[in-house]
Amino acid sequence: MERTVARWLGFAVPERISFLIKSSIFLSICGATLFIALASSYPAVHDTLHNARHALAVVPCH
Amino acid sequence: MSLKSLLALVAVAVSALLAAPLWAQDLNILFKTSPSIDRLRPHAGRVGLSVLVTDAAGKPIESGWAEIRLDAPKPGGFFSTDIPLVEGTRLAEMRLPLKNGKAEWQYEWPIRGEYRLAVEASTVDGKKVSKTFDITVRESSTKWLMLGGFNLGLFLFGFIAGRIFTATKGSAASLIVALLLSATALPSAVAQISQALEQTVEATLTVEPAVVGKASRITWRLDGGVNVPSKGAMLTLVITQLEEGHTVFAIEKLLVAGEFALYFQFVDGSEHSVTAVAELPGRNPIRTEQRVSVTAVEPPATAALPAMVLFLFVIALGLGVGRWSKLRVATR
Repeated sequence: MERTVARWLGFAVPERISFLIKSSIFLSICGATLFIALASSYPAVHDTLHNARHALAVVPCH
Repeated sequence: MSLKSLLALVAVAVSALLAAPLWAQDLNILFKTSPSIDRLRPHAGRVGLSVLVTDAAGKPIESGWAEIRLDAPKPGGFFSTDIPLVEGTRLAEMRLPLKNGKAEWQYEWPIRGEYRLAVEASTVDGKKVSKTFDITVRESSTKWLMLGGFNLGLFLFGFIAGRIFTATKGSAASLIVALLLSATALPSAVAQISQALEQTVEATLTVEPAVVGKASRITWRLDGGVNVPSKGAMLTLVITQLEEGHTVFAIEKLLVAGEFALYFQFVDGSEHSVTAVAELPGRNPIRTEQRVSVTAVEPPATAALPAMVLFLFVIALGLGVGRWSKLRVATR
């Protein structure tokens, strides 16, 4: 997939930069997912994960 | 004013100032929990609390009153507890009669930390003494274990991702499958909220609107038509969290003169029941119940920040270790 993207864009980035870009995107997605799952107040998400939040000791809930 | 008079005046003033503390030393307050304080854990069921007021000789006083105030642990740690809105607030405030020097009640601790219990006892002849007790409730080891397991899962998730992102040739497909599988292993649970009201027969039970983070006044009163015997009625008051069906507060067989009030903070934003049963000689117990729908309050988003930072750091650590392990194999 990486090669396809490089061919499509017409250039390739060094492996180290590529890793940093992929890691940043990955961490952003993880952060958003964790926030929605453990810190958001959407009733459906909150109600489903209410006990899990309390079980983790450091995740605030109500 | 002569020096003698001045000295006499100072001596009188000093003795007057010291009189109250010396008087207070005639009484002593002892506090006990069952199970013992070192075994207390949050949300681990009801704990029996008792206050014993004795005289200088260690003998329990015959009768009197104990003003009791329980404050939640102060906020301040880097990581919040699971109910941050409760931190630093008043949890309960009540005035209990001392029977043979003793006042007893039951309570379920909501969060970890150092609670402060202030007791002010007074005897019928006007003697007073006050004492503050610090009660440290440690977090349940199960919760720390769960947190450790969750972090381990996040680390492995990051580790696998780190290896995939570092991969230069093929072989990534199986790792992607492993990554997807590990992502599905997140925990789940349930909760709710609702509303109701109850009846009154020969007694009235009123509960102020309950909001997490603020103590509500609960008042129980026998109606005018009911004759209260001279020695009073025996009141049992129980507060139950209905979602999980566990009792969070209880006072049993408390001798009251037709009325009792306390301030109590409902720390869980769900439905509770407050039940009062009064026993009077020669008649059936008078039972009154109120359903209380506690208004939940969302903690501020900043309270979740330290936990989110921790989780992301663990994933990032996994990413780094995964990349390192992949490169180490490749350079061999």
